[in-house]
Amino acid sequence: MASLDASLAKPIAKEAPRRRALGVSGVFLPRLLAGLAIVLVWEASVRAFLPAYVAKPSTVLLAIPKTVVDAAFLAATADTLGAVAQGLGIAVVIGTLVGLVIGRSPTADRMLRHYVNGFYAVPMIVILPLLSLWFGYTSATRLATIVYAAIFSIVVNVSDGARAVPREYMEVARSFRAQRLRGLFEIVLPAATPYFLAGIRLAAGRALIGAVVAEFFTAIGGLGYFILFMSRTFRHDEAFVGVALLAAFGVGVDVFVAWCTRRFLPWYRRDERSA
Amino acid sequence: MTESLRRHAPLLLSLAAGTALWEIAGRRASAAFLVPLSETLVRLWEIAASGQLWEQFVSSAALFLTGFALALAIGMPLGMLLARMRVLRVALEPYIMILYATPMVALIPFILSLMGFGFAPKALVVFLFAVFPVLYNTIEGARSIKPELIEVARSFRSSEWKLWCDVMVPYTLPFAMTGVRQAIGRGLVGMVAAEFFLSATGLGQLIMTAGQNFDTGGVFAAILVIGLIGVGLMRVGLMLEQRFARWRD
Amino acid sequence: MDAIASPSVPDVKGASGAGVRIRVRGLAKRYGALEVFRSIDLDVGDCEILSIVGPSGCGKTTLLRCIDGLIPVDEGEIWVNGTRVTQPIAGMAMVFQHFGLFPWKTVYGNVAYGLKMAGASKAEIAERVPHFIAMVGLKGFENAYPYQISGGMQQRCGLARALAVEPSVLLMDEPFAAVDAQTREILQFELLRIWEQRPTTMLFVTHSIEEAVLMGDRVIVLKGRPSSIAETIVVDLPRPRTRETLREPRFAALREHVWSTLLSEARRAEFEVGGGL
Repeated sequence: MASLDASLAKPIAKEAPRRRALGVSGVFLPRLLAGLAIVLVWEASVRAFLPAYVAKPSTVLLAIPKTVVDAAFLAATADTLGAVAQGLGIAVVIGTLVGLVIGRSPTADRMLRHYVNGFYAVPMIVILPLLSLWFGYTSATRLATIVYAAIFSIVVNVSDGARAVPREYMEVARSFRAQRLRGLFEIVLPAATPYFLAGIRLAAGRALIGAVVAEFFTAIGGLGYFILFMSRTFRHDEAFVGVALLAAFGVGVDVFVAWCTRRFLPWYRRDERSA
Repeated sequence: MTESLRRHAPLLLSLAAGTALWEIAGRRASAAFLVPLSETLVRLWEIAASGQLWEQFVSSAALFLTGFALALAIGMPLGMLLARMRVLRVALEPYIMILYATPMVALIPFILSLMGFGFAPKALVVFLFAVFPVLYNTIEGARSIKPELIEVARSFRSSEWKLWCDVMVPYTLPFAMTGVRQAIGRGLVGMVAAEFFLSATGLGQLIMTAGQNFDTGGVFAAILVIGLIGVGLMRVGLMLEQRFARWRD
Repeated sequence: MDAIASPSVPDVKGASGAGVRIRVRGLAKRYGALEVFRSIDLDVGDCEILSIVGPSGCGKTTLLRCIDGLIPVDEGEIWVNGTRVTQPIAGMAMVFQHFGLFPWKTVYGNVAYGLKMAGASKAEIAERVPHFIAMVGLKGFENAYPYQISGGMQQRCGLARALAVEPSVLLMDEPFAAVDAQTREILQFELLRIWEQRPTTMLFVTHSIEEAVLMGDRVIVLKGRPSSIAETIVVDLPRPRTRETLREPRFAALREHVWSTLLSEARRAEFEVGGGL
């Protein structure tokens, strides 16, 4: 609104606070109180109505130091998270390639879209009995479940992103005589990156579910099986530490993806796009 | 006519190729691994003819609908309430985010040991799988309501009830529908998980028993059925989302 | 008024032949049954600025895209620097109406883009990009992303990107249509200043009559449905052109002339297409 266009420059790299500032106490205090309330209600109701072995905050807290140094727990964690990482890696590589092809080639799109949507809509858990027929009750079944659980969210998101590249960008590229492959890397990839990250976020959540479900089903060692075993032997507190770790991993991925978006894609601001 | 034929040719070709691939691979592979499409369909017909399929379908549907309806009935109003009551939202947001990101399957062993094998714990599993996407997306939608819109309603001296009818609900619904679509997918996983790990009933049982009997044809038949249900429900979810999202463009 | 117009002679500076940068003969473009324009002939000389004006929807942007080789033509031929254009060629660069900046690249990255596509070396890019960023007055904003700078600055960046490949032909597609009126005026004179420093052949599409007259050595008026060149007006205003130019009676006379040529057509077009862009 100023008179010279140079003075119209918006402040650089200063994330405008999206909401009216509440101040630290305005955010922190209600959260702390709510957290305390949740913990207290949980503790009180377990003490009042449920058997002693049921997990409650005080005993879970006491179980943490014992559990996190427990070799069995650590091995189980490494097993499960390692499998999730490996499966996600496979899903990301293959899923991105397939997604780019589907997104940029109308023929591939028409050929493959229905398969992708179909497999995506199948609740991943139902293929477990089939996978355990194929791979037996081994960690290969778990890996296959993770890949299946994760890959389609990546394919769907990457192909959406590759398809949604604004036509102006492609025109600029052609005008500056960019080669086809160059265009793919310089324009389609960056434009699809936000979608890709959204896909990873979804995929990681599903991969985690896939890993736990596979361990429940095949009883192979891992965090899921640890939880199952501990709760069957009425050691709910230890089992709950496992749940908390899974939750932390899930939240961690969310936070990490959000951080990546802010750090590496400062130009991508969803609120502006939808406006 | 020829134009539409040419447009659909890749689809038809790929469907034909997929069918043929399944059939040929099924015939060449060992029957314990893969059965051809034709045999799967025969097996499906047998299960359907015995009345088993319908019985298990009804059982699963009752479970899914109970848990899902509860998730909607609690998730949407609660989400909007949290959106309207700022302090409550700020206070609870992080906990809802954490629960949204937690793999709910991990809670199944606890539910099993506390509540046993009945219908209620299984409905609870479906509910837990489905409620957080609804809650999360409804809050996301409601917090993006422009304060100006609420000011407009205020300046026209709208009552709180009217404000909900005219602004909060219509604005939030499209976002809530995105949550509903996610909840359908997650709820289905929850349904099968409950049927696998709590007590074997419904379509989950159909798959489990077939797998245990090394009846690969039965496994494929049951997966096909659940897969089709999944695709169908996804369609419904997408339609709902588009139906309510019309004003957003 | 007749003294101003010189209808049937399309090439003035280019009449000698040697200096012709852009030569268009018998151009026609159709979208299905809709004929956008037909029998367009034009020549643009070396370092000449040719403005093209016309009512909304007359196909001036389409014409420019054809000349850039972005879209195929149905009839006729386009020659730029002696090369027949069927796809974008080297030595030509376009400035887009909606800037066409890549949001994930900084100002620096966007300006470097054209050079990169032309296969320039890293050292060459590092040397030339800052020069052109300074030329358009964006020094200090190298690391800003497009969303962080104003519309006017975004188009400065688009201009720098085009200039950086040192084109002999610059195509301007309503470059200042998406910025506010004040910024637009600033950018117009900025562009004239840059052109004085480093003259190139320029094809300037606009729907602002004032802008067309201010920029151009000649103004072409596109009219009709399908449109064709209704008139070519020689703008005999001295260069360098400055804010003073706007106050000259000659400028007003030329503007009036273009306006009256357009008026009847513009009115009709407005009712037909609903006036909107």
